[in-house]
Amino acid sequence: MSRKEDILSRIRENIRKSYDMPDISRIKGIQYPDVIKQFEEISKTVGGKVVKAVPGEDINSIIKELYPDAKIFASNLPEITIASKNPDILEAHELNGTDVGIIKGQIGVAENGCIWIPQTMKERAVCFISEYLVIIISGKNIVNNMHEAYSRIKMNGYGYGCFISGPSKTADIAQALVMGAQAARGVTVIITE
Amino acid sequence: MSTQHTKAAKRFLHNADKAKWHDATFWSVRAKRDTMAMSLEEWEELRETASRIKKHTITHMDKYLEMFANNAEKNGTIVHWAKDADEFNDIVLKILRDHNVRKMVKSKSMLTEECEMNPYLEKHGIEVVETDLGERILQLMESKPSHIVMPAIHITQEEVGQLFEEKLDSEKDNYDPTYLTYCARMSLRNEFIESQAGMTGANFGIAETGEVVVCTNEGNADMSVAIPKLHIAAIGLEKVIPDYQSLSIFQRLLARSATGQPTTTYTSHFGKARPGAEMHIILVDNGRSSIIADSEHWETLKCMRCGACMNTCPVYRRSGGYSYTYFIPGPIGINLGMLRDKYKYTDNVSACSLCCSCDNVCPVKVNLSEQIYLWRQNLDSLGKADPMKKTMSRGMKTLFGHPALYNMALKFAPIANHAPRPALYNSLNAWGKGREMPKFAKESFQTMWKKGKIK
Repeated sequence: MSRKEDILSRIRENIRKSYDMPDISRIKGIQYPDVIKQFEEISKTVGGKVVKAVPGEDINSIIKELYPDAKIFASNLPEITIASKNPDILEAHELNGTDVGIIKGQIGVAENGCIWIPQTMKERAVCFISEYLVIIISGKNIVNNMHEAYSRIKMNGYGYGCFISGPSKTADIAQALVMGAQAARGVTVIITE
Repeated sequence: MSTQHTKAAKRFLHNADKAKWHDATFWSVRAKRDTMAMSLEEWEELRETASRIKKHTITHMDKYLEMFANNAEKNGTIVHWAKDADEFNDIVLKILRDHNVRKMVKSKSMLTEECEMNPYLEKHGIEVVETDLGERILQLMESKPSHIVMPAIHITQEEVGQLFEEKLDSEKDNYDPTYLTYCARMSLRNEFIESQAGMTGANFGIAETGEVVVCTNEGNADMSVAIPKLHIAAIGLEKVIPDYQSLSIFQRLLARSATGQPTTTYTSHFGKARPGAEMHIILVDNGRSSIIADSEHWETLKCMRCGACMNTCPVYRRSGGYSYTYFIPGPIGINLGMLRDKYKYTDNVSACSLCCSCDNVCPVKVNLSEQIYLWRQNLDSLGKADPMKKTMSRGMKTLFGHPALYNMALKFAPIANHAPRPALYNSLNAWGKGREMPKFAKESFQTMWKKGKIK
């Protein structure tokens, strides 16, 4: 008998009583009168910055203005013309030293500032290794809560996705909150139409 | 009557300022958790549903594990099964050797602590680098976590500063937490780039998709597997849940319960290896399949390791993580320790005042205090009951079983109020240590009732 079968059969023998799956659809998660406003507020609470793009405004110039000292930008988005590093071409470690990484978010969550980032580039390191991260998301894709978010998620071919809410943080030294533990030291969310 | 816990707690309390800070810090985390809980109308419904999903999943674990493993394999992940800690360690070593790995970065995993994986790999010549800041500090200090979510909480910034001066070449006498965090960041950047493998634990395994989900604030799990070409995920059998909709419930409860945050910064779904990389999942039993058969304690398997029971526990807050003899402290640690070895870890069961606060904050409703109570009831059958308490119990049985004797004792009890201090507060009286004894009333309720003093 394989180790797998061995373990599974022991589990089968040891189960004494069986419980039914509860009806999860009954749960109505928190709702907000204005999801974008709530999303903006909570994003600030978790240490992020939010910028609303005016229709027609060039995203590149918004980013340049937000990070005037940044020299190296990384992105595989065709509209990001300031990028000199491309995560579709480079190896993961070559993305180290990136000042600002620019990626696209698919779903924003108003209750906790989470943004669903499906992997859409060869090296997902760009989402974590960059000193600062810019996430572009459409205001139309902001939902109330995690139940709504998860009901929309379908994993793509890369088989990886991540909710990100604000910058990397830690309080491991004397409970003092510090932004920028191992990943992005700051996150700006640009909300487009 | 002193247990290992009381002796260690006494040492912890010796530094009164630090003990006070410890207590207040965890109480503030508990308060933050309350604020989060109260901000959601559906909070209690979430807890109840989470508990029921776990009960369902655990009692159908064979089915969900098979589904999880099949879907993970469809994603191209290599799935391994380990009966116990030794098998787990062997599997990890074999994978690492097959890939010529000399150094591995890893994110926090209580399972690898449970299996004592790091010393095993190091013995076989593989360097393991912890990447969670708290865990890294402890690794450099050659010390162990004192809490499962805030592992280095008991270490002061001065101690971290002095450690980094020696190990990471930081500035002398600079104890600023921001500065020290950046020093660790710089040093760990090199480790991420130099390592040939990355290991993560798992907060959840999703049966429907075969994904491993990891929640961190630092982003260290993602960093650990975004650069090396080999990802090994270690997951306990009980971490598998049915689907995304179930996950939405646990995700909403986890960080709010653990640290009082609305979410962790990162909730990462690892379904497939990166292009050109390889992903392995190791499913670890190590006693879990037997716990299912334990009618009194199987619900311990519902635990998702948020640490809320520790933060609220008056005994944990005032005695610290190192007072417990099992590597997981607090209410859940008492129970997990007893399930691991009920002879070895009995000292911890007395580290509970049965206030039941843990039961009321647990996001998946593990009946923690009830289980501790049950373990205590069984101490005598394990041959672990305290002989002094047993003698006293026999004495009390005689006293309460003989009304005349009881009334006589009650009549003379107030004499103790006037006894000289050394007669009452001495090594024979455990209740007189660190606290004042209650005063006996001059007259008993029964006497007052008979005299008509009570209407």
